[in-house]
Order: sequence, then C-alpha cells, then structure tokens
Amino acid sequence: MKKIIIVIVSLVSFVGFSQTTNKEYTKRVLETAEVDILSSFYSQDGDNAAVTGGIGTEKLTDLATSFTVSIPLNDNDVFTVDATISAYTSASSSNLDPFDVSSASSGGDDDDDDNDKSSATNSKSLVTNSASPWVESSGASKSDVWTSLSLSYSHSSDDRNTILGANASFAKEYDYTSIGVGGSLTKLFNEKNTEIGLKANVYLDTWSPVYPTELDSYLDDNQNLNDGHFEGVDILDQDGNTIDKNGVNVWSPFKNTLVDNKSRNTYSLSVSFSQILSKKSQISLFFDLVKQDGWLANPMQRVYFSDRDNYYIGNASSISNYTSPTNTDVFQLADDIERLPDSRLKIPIGVRFNQYINEVVTLRTYYRYYYDDWGIQSSTAEIELPIKISDTFTLYPSYRYYTQTAADYFAPFEQHTSTEEFYTSDYDLSEFNSNQIGIGFSYTDIFAKRHIWKLGLKSIDIKYNSYKRNTGLKAGIISAGFKFVMD
Amino acid sequence: MIKKISLLLLSLCSLTSCVVVKEYEKVYLNDPDMILAAKKANKFVTSFQVYREAASGANGGKSGGGCGCN
Repeated sequence: MKKIIIVIVSLVSFVGFSQTTNKEYTKRVLETAEVDILSSFYSQDGDNAAVTGGIGTEKLTDLATSFTVSIPLNDNDVFTVDATISAYTSASSSNLDPFDVSSASSGGDDDDDDNDKSSATNSKSLVTNSASPWVESSGASKSDVWTSLSLSYSHSSDDRNTILGANASFAKEYDYTSIGVGGSLTKLFNEKNTEIGLKANVYLDTWSPVYPTELDSYLDDNQNLNDGHFEGVDILDQDGNTIDKNGVNVWSPFKNTLVDNKSRNTYSLSVSFSQILSKKSQISLFFDLVKQDGWLANPMQRVYFSDRDNYYIGNASSISNYTSPTNTDVFQLADDIERLPDSRLKIPIGVRFNQYINEVVTLRTYYRYYYDDWGIQSSTAEIELPIKISDTFTLYPSYRYYTQTAADYFAPFEQHTSTEEFYTSDYDLSEFNSNQIGIGFSYTDIFAKRHIWKLGLKSIDIKYNSYKRNTGLKAGIISAGFKFVMD
Repeated sequence: MIKKISLLLLSLCSLTSCVVVKEYEKVYLNDPDMILAAKKANKFVTSFQVYREAASGANGGKSGGGCGCN
C-alpha cells in the first residue's frame, strides 16, 4: 500500500512537473526587443516628366531611412513603432517653376488663398532664358522630405491560433498629409498548416496642392498678363512672335479652377490564405479590394492640348526644337493640370509560392494580376533564388517582370484634346513593361555575438536593383538593412 | 473573371486535405527564406514600384494611401 501511495505521489508530481514545464516553455511571440534600421538610395532618369506634360527630364534621387522597433509587452503582445524619413531631389518637380525664381513653388503657401502667394509672386523676377523641360530649375520645389510614423500592436492567443492587430499611421510631405488606421485578424487552422487573414485599412489623406507656376500665378494675378508674374515678360506664339497681351489671341489656362476637393481617401480590404503543401513547400494567395475617392490626380502635372494654340516664354529660335533634349531655353505654358476621375476601384490578386529545394537553394516566386476601373490591367512576375554560400552568408539574385496597359485617360505630350473630360500625360499611367534585376547578400548571426551598446547584431541585408522601362526610364536602388536584438 | 477566382479559391481550399505537416517537421518551412511575404529589406524597393507603376497591393503589405503617388 505504501508503495502504491509513493507511486501515485510520484506520478502526480510528475504530471505537475510536466505542466509546469509546458507553461515555462510556452514560446513568446517575440523573445526580445528588435530594432531594424533600413536605408536606401534611389536614382532615376528618363525623358517623360509628368510635371512638364510628358516630355522632359525625370532625373530624381531619393535617400530614405527607417527605424523599426518591435517590443514584446508580454508573452502574447507586441508593440511596433516605425519611423521613416525620405528626402528627394527631383529635376521634374523643380520645373513646377521652370523660371527659376525665388520662393516660387514652395515656401509655406498652400496655394489656395489670395494674398501670400501673390505677394511672393510679385516680389520675384522671372528668369526666362534658361527654362526648359530638359533643364533642372533651382526653385524650392526641386526637393522635399517625406516623413512617416506608424504604430502597430498585435495580440496572439495562448494557442497561437488567433492573432489580432491594430495600426495607426501618419505621413507628411510638403503638399500631402496622410492619416491611416487599420485592423487585422489572422486565424490558423489544421495544426497551423492553414492560415486565413483579414485586414482593413482606411487612409484619410489631404492635399496642400502646389501647381505649375504659370497657372497658379495667372489666377493669383487676376488673369492679367500685364501684372505680377507676367509683368514685363514676353510671351511667344508658335512662330516665335511676341504676342500682344491685350489682344484677342493670348495664352490663358483652359480652366479657371484648380483643385476643388483636397481630400483623397483610400479604403482597403485584404484577404489572405496560406497553405503548407509539404514539408518543403508552401503557397499564399492575396486578394485586395481598394476603393479611392477624392482628388486622385496630381495637381503638379501639366497637360497640353493639341487643339489649343501654343505659347512660350524664352528663346524663340528654340521653339521648333521644343521636344528635343537639346532645348535648354524655351518653355511652353501649360493648358491645364491633369484631371482624373474622383473615384477608382483597384483589384489586385497575388500568389506567392516558395519551395525549399535543398540546404543551399530556396525558390521564392510571386505573381500578381491587377485590374482597376481606369482601364489598367497589369501582370507582375517575380522570382528570387536565395543561395546559402555558408552558415552566415546568403546570396539573393532576383528578377522581376512587370507589364501594364494604359489608363483610359492617358495620352502623350500634345495628344489630348480639350473636349476630353479627363486627361493625363503621366507615363506611370501609360502602357509599358519593365525589367528589374537584383542581387543582394545577407549576413546572419543567430547568436547576435557582435554588439553595439546593448544591441546584438543579428543580420545585415544589402541589395541592389536595376530597373529599366521600355519607355526609357532607368532606375537603380541600393538598400542596406541591419537587424539588432536587445540583450 | 469571378469564375476563375472561385475556381482558384476552391482549388486552394482543397489543399487543406494535403498531408498535415507537424510542428517538428517544419524545419525547412521555418527557414527565413521561406517566409510567405516580401522581405523587410525590400520595403523601399516596393515603395518606388508603387510610385512608378499603376499597380500595387496583393503582396501582404500596404495597398494604398500615405503618399501622393498612383
């Protein structure tokens, strides 16, 4: 009897020990705080700047850095803060004011009032002999800084089969402000072999519109070509003759109203489905439904109509050579800013399939079909082949092909007519295809032995991508990412 | 279009009948390169694509808003 009692007590204590052990080994969602620092340098050039109506230099550089800190609040909850800053210089946006004047297209004015912009305009002097779509202006609009802060929180259930998330974001650049909120729910089934995710986001964005300087100034100067911005400046016709500003045939914008609705709202619903197919392969399907409304055109982008007379400022002898990159001293006055519908529905569907081939090579693939009600359809195919060259180093060669049809409202420079309701010469909405080739490497130290202060270096990722579009646009981007874990 | 999507969804749902992979058998699936999402290091690459191309979304990340891009 005594032996039986001892055995039972031993078993009970064993069960108790086992339970304690199980609880102790419940894996935390995030073991320790992590810090991700990511930086990139982007450069592009091309000949189809939208700011100058579909022709002109697209030279642009952008330097961006983000800091992401993920903090485990307890076993189940993680709080993440992401701060990003991106600073660009752009030849095309500098040509918002191609006449290279002081405080031209920036300087703290929201361009919708009557006084401050006009007074700035009156105090400036036009430089008319160096304006061209192919020449970068030194005006304030040549550069801008985009900053963003996003906060997110996730809660995982004890069995790790349910994950709830919430996020909020704020982003600001000179002419644009965005506020976003969202929530997500992820459920795992089938011994975590199947995962279904739902995500909803709302972005309430606001324009502080900035316009091509001639359009803005004309309206600010009470449509008077003898005052303010245009005072003392010769305007030329197609033949290079100086027009009589008090005559009948004079330049004027096609419309006397610019942005009348400064909001741009985006509502998105995302559904994802992931499935483990075998011990070495898995697949995921993504489906988004995105509805946008508000001012969806970019007020910085000029449009020129083929059925309206052309007028210029600058060197008359260069007019015949206007669309050539050799034109450095004449600029055509815009007919209007681009106009696009105030509603857009986007439906992208994506599939991702990954295959672990062997201990050296992994296959990562992605395909997306995209449709929207502006007439654009596109396909994106991407392949990446991570190659482990040692325990700590991996190479990442990749290739991406992208193709899209043109928006119903796109036409090149001087090919729209003023009878159209909507129009743009933005080549990002044209028909094109692009090829992107990338190579990168990563260094991973799972034990994070190297330290900076209390942060252990867990991984370094460096990657370069070269991007070429059949419209002539070329771009390159180099990124470097560092992941640290807190001791 | 809807028919094709429905067929694809049905096909994927049927995959749940595949052999269930146990937690201890997921060593290859847990490899960092097997993650079913774009890598964090590609964040700015995705950003420039969103600016330069009309299509966006359906990659597990952001699908609009936050910038004056398309």
